Amino acid sequence: MSNINGKVYAMNAITPMKPWKTWILRGFFFVLGRVKPLQQDLINLSFIEFARWVVLPRRGFPFLGNGQKREELQYDYLLFFSNFNGTWNQYIDAFSAVLSRGLNLIWRWSEKFPGSVPVTPFKNYIAQVQFDTDYYYTAYPRATANDLKSAHIVQTSLDALSLRAQDYTPAQFAEAYLHFVIQVQAHLGETGDAPVVF
Amino acid sequence: MPNKSGSLYGLTILSPIIDDEKATPSHDLQIRKYLAGLATDDGSPFALAPGTHLARLVVMDDVIYVGMPACEEHLKSKYLVLESNFDGELDDYLGGLADHVPEQLDSIWGHCVAYPGAGNRQAFIDYMKACQIDTTFYFAAINDKSLPETLRALHTRTAVADFIANHQGMEPARLQAEFVQFVAQLRSEPIPGPGTGGIARDIKTGGRNE
Repeated sequence: MSNINGKVYAMNAITPMKPWKTWILRGFFFVLGRVKPLQQDLINLSFIEFARWVVLPRRGFPFLGNGQKREELQYDYLLFFSNFNGTWNQYIDAFSAVLSRGLNLIWRWSEKFPGSVPVTPFKNYIAQVQFDTDYYYTAYPRATANDLKSAHIVQTSLDALSLRAQDYTPAQFAEAYLHFVIQVQAHLGETGDAPVVF
Repeated sequence: MPNKSGSLYGLTILSPIIDDEKATPSHDLQIRKYLAGLATDDGSPFALAPGTHLARLVVMDDVIYVGMPACEEHLKSKYLVLESNFDGELDDYLGGLADHVPEQLDSIWGHCVAYPGAGNRQAFIDYMKACQIDTTFYFAAINDKSLPETLRALHTRTAVADFIANHQGMEPARLQAEFVQFVAQLRSEPIPGPGTGGIARDIKTGGRNE
């Protein structure tokens, strides 16, 4: 079991849903995918690198023959995979505090979902439906989502300045460089080892 | 398409694991044992093949019973779950895996039902696609940058911070000359490879209370 690699945590959860309810959830995700302002809270939770929800119909499990038995299930299942920075408790706390309405719209169709507020029964539910990761890889183990965003801002600003750097007079360059430093100063810093969590 | 966000692809694969009561240890345990020893740094198969930002492999033993009044039910197979976030298109990515790390793929998926082996590139791609589940909603915090662009940007960020710190108050003509030289040197430097820089964790952790 290895849910952590560097600064990122892999979370897996699976919850059962009555099949008729999955269509409501699919409708919600359809709208969420097309109305970008509805994703703003998710974007603002800037410790999530990647996340996905997968509705797995009860007859949608891969069946390949060759001796495999076909699944016979009553429920559809909602799979949730998240890649986030920080600890499990911080993540669930933030989810509950910032995204409670959105989370309720996603998981209220799952059996026995208690609601995302208050947080204690919500955490108990997540712990119950979570399953552990066996192998976890990240291409940038020392970086958080905010590191990635900042790095791209610095790269873009540097590229813009370097395009004209040689054409400026020293005085013009000094001014452009000052502007560059002001642009990037809040995005500097080093990536590094993740803090050890106890 | 829900599997994509910008230029990123969110791949979800569930491969049924062979259920053979004569196998000792069982195939799911053999997968877990292999994964426990598999490199997670620049020696990872996902680092050796191009394009992967983050990926995980999970043995899903069963669905979870949440208690009454829900019905209790169980899967007839265990499944190996691959969750991957990568650049570009699916066929190219799967083909890249088959080209670069066929031995590792065979060691993992060789315990799955009807796995054809990575030696037959097209059969491997077809098999993985047969096990694919479409993502319903996919979120990528940054969905317009490739892995090489991201690795370069992280390298640049550190170098720029050092440059700024070391050039405070410098006379403009010299600052300009050193900046031009800095940029040229930065562009000529190799980008740190994917998966590098992490620290080895002797004890695999990340439990639910962390």
